[in-house]
Amino acid sequence: MNREDRRSISRQYFSDERLAEHHFRSFNAFLGRGMQEVVDEKETIDTDIGDKEGEEPVYVELGDVRVVTPRVREADGSEELLYPQEARLRNITYSAPVFMEMSIVRGGEEEEEVVVDSTETKVGRMPIMVGSERCNISGFDHDELVEIGEDPVDPGGYFIVNGSERVLMTSEDLAPNKILAEYDTKYGDEIQVAKTFSQRRGYRALVLCERGRDGLLEVSFPSVSGSVNFVTLVRALGLESDEEIVHRVSDDPEIVKFMLENLEEADVQTTEEAIETLGKRVASGQGKNYQLKRANYVIDRYLLPHLHEEGVEEEEVRINKAFYLCRMAEACFELALQRREADDKDHYANKRLKVSGDLMKDLFRTALNKLARDVKYQLERANMRNRNLTVNTVVRSDVLTERLEHPIATGNWVGGRSGVSQLVDRTDYMGVLSHLRRLRSPLSRSQPHFEARDLHATQWGRICPSETPEGPNCGLVKNFAQAMELSQNVEDEQALKRELASMGVEGMPGLEGVEPTTADD
Amino acid sequence: MSKSQATGCPECDGRLRTNSSETVCASCGLVVAADHIDHGPEWRSFADDDTNPERTGAPLTRSRHDRGLSTEIGRSSRIKGRKRRRLARMRRQHNRARISSKRERNQVYAFTEIRRLTGALSLPDRVRDHACSLLRSAQNENLLRGRSLEGFSSACVYAACRVAGVSRTVDEVLAVSRATENEHGAAYDALNRDLGLPVGPISPTEYVPRFASELDLASSVERRARELAAESHDSGLAAGRNPSGVAAACLYTAARELDVKLTQKEAADVAGVTPVTLRSTYYDLRD
Repeated sequence: MNREDRRSISRQYFSDERLAEHHFRSFNAFLGRGMQEVVDEKETIDTDIGDKEGEEPVYVELGDVRVVTPRVREADGSEELLYPQEARLRNITYSAPVFMEMSIVRGGEEEEEVVVDSTETKVGRMPIMVGSERCNISGFDHDELVEIGEDPVDPGGYFIVNGSERVLMTSEDLAPNKILAEYDTKYGDEIQVAKTFSQRRGYRALVLCERGRDGLLEVSFPSVSGSVNFVTLVRALGLESDEEIVHRVSDDPEIVKFMLENLEEADVQTTEEAIETLGKRVASGQGKNYQLKRANYVIDRYLLPHLHEEGVEEEEVRINKAFYLCRMAEACFELALQRREADDKDHYANKRLKVSGDLMKDLFRTALNKLARDVKYQLERANMRNRNLTVNTVVRSDVLTERLEHPIATGNWVGGRSGVSQLVDRTDYMGVLSHLRRLRSPLSRSQPHFEARDLHATQWGRICPSETPEGPNCGLVKNFAQAMELSQNVEDEQALKRELASMGVEGMPGLEGVEPTTADD
Repeated sequence: MSKSQATGCPECDGRLRTNSSETVCASCGLVVAADHIDHGPEWRSFADDDTNPERTGAPLTRSRHDRGLSTEIGRSSRIKGRKRRRLARMRRQHNRARISSKRERNQVYAFTEIRRLTGALSLPDRVRDHACSLLRSAQNENLLRGRSLEGFSSACVYAACRVAGVSRTVDEVLAVSRATENEHGAAYDALNRDLGLPVGPISPTEYVPRFASELDLASSVERRARELAAESHDSGLAAGRNPSGVAAACLYTAARELDVKLTQKEAADVAGVTPVTLRSTYYDLRD
């Protein structure tokens, strides 16, 4: 390519629209489908109405969610479109009303289910990113922008809350749902560990598979204190026979030897026994029935939640979990036999970036849960006082608004992270550009973390090798390279899988012609 | 800072030297006092310092039964087992102890209801606070006995709107309220009679901007309608008429004058009156 062409490409990369492109794409995806996904996950709001004798149960069904463009409600009740500059000058929030379809349904016990009331109601206000597709200035040309008092070269990509401009810091997290094998030390011995951050619908669970000094495998996951024997857990998941377990881990003779050691030490032989043993661990001192119930619940809820998928049977999910654990075991053994090296946590293939849309999705999820709890309370209250149950009178719109605005205004995000939103650096124009393209590692800046701060070869073309602050944040705060392209996750995972299956990939769970093998990313 | 600064080093009686962080003896090097107060820049904005002297904490508010002075026992994922269960019990007791009497419980319920109403009607915070203090005075006057809390909540919001000069129609308030029309009326009468609300007849100008934006009219129409409404109010034309009907008629007249399409039915529907009411005012306005 000749020099002129290169130059014009380079110029395109640094044009106004490209500078905060990653913010727009992410936030637009959140508005377009992320919000609806969160609402669909929630699906219904159940209430305690109907627990009493002779009372019909009541629940709320959540439907389509809709966001309009930012507008302001004046004290006299008139509503007008709001432009960013007005929001900045009047110290108000640049946010748009959110509407949701809700229907209150009563019945199901003795009477038939009846929809008591069904309307689309305003559930709150969503802060809107300046320049995103729901922003009032999107699509404006230079003159129109000047007309409404907006800076025509302003890149956008930030929110305006109470008049102050806040940018959401992109954060760099370890890739979820991926097996990472590494060495660790326990009581002075080197052991091999396979780790997975299993993530589904905002719930994140760390699953560890350790090969101890004695060569025995142990698994630990949330809600079980300490660790569980690998063979016990796999048997509890329905992988029963010795042969099958060994075969699922590996066919390598050395690994088979290791596996046989494990099987010899196993104290349970059948699935029932295994679940009983697990029950004793998760609910010790409780009744036997409860122990079994609890063990099943823990397996389905806390162990590797990312393997639950739409259209996959519970039975199949369990066996998939067993296969996945076997893969983790294999990774441990391979590491012990030096067949592979420990995974590099700083490799950029093992990183995922959380951009504004992902952060807003987390926020919206907790805000919606809070709203749901409030609706439940209001419904129960209204029912107790013998009022008519209508959608309009049980939704408090300030609950959601508050939960969305407050974290953006203060930077105290859900999950205890702080400093997620920052005041846009308006020292000069370059400051704004740099700030919008900054990313932050969640690692503590008070610890050395030398490797994490080092420049990694895989950052080539993605992260600027020189722009990083001096001092404690050195190497933890990074900036995007000029020609960086940020890819997004697929819109429809099911469609992707079907496509892959049509190209000859076999054994994906939830698709026809299933010959189950482990699902890996 | 310690007193030793004036007297000299306690060990050798040497001269003390103070820099930004500590007080050190110049001769023996003993650190006499370390200053724990950080004199560095404070990590907050001083933009509103002269208007708001507060340094910490949430502001006091009249819209909560405890004026916003409540405490809460927080949660931590680090505490486990017995201690966690104990904290959960403490939290429950603490929450129960927050409300001590039936009266307070009613207040909490009514305040939540007022919050919901003001949120649904997008009213400013000062209206909400005023509504809450109206309810508080009503409770002090024992007006609530035998009347419904829902009615009082919506009546307080309605009254606060009128006092603040941002009137809403009764229908608008009732549309989002849990109260029936009768409950609302009874409560508002009681408020008006016993508290002596400083309210006069509603000026139709208060309704014009809201109806205009609901009808999606241009600001020129709204401005003209506002003029007409002010005139009709001053000339006594609006006296004895339903102010929302007058507002609708003003909008309709303004639209006619400026050749904007607007039917009598549309204008009347937004105001919640019949086209007949609108028409009679329209004829008078035209003359």
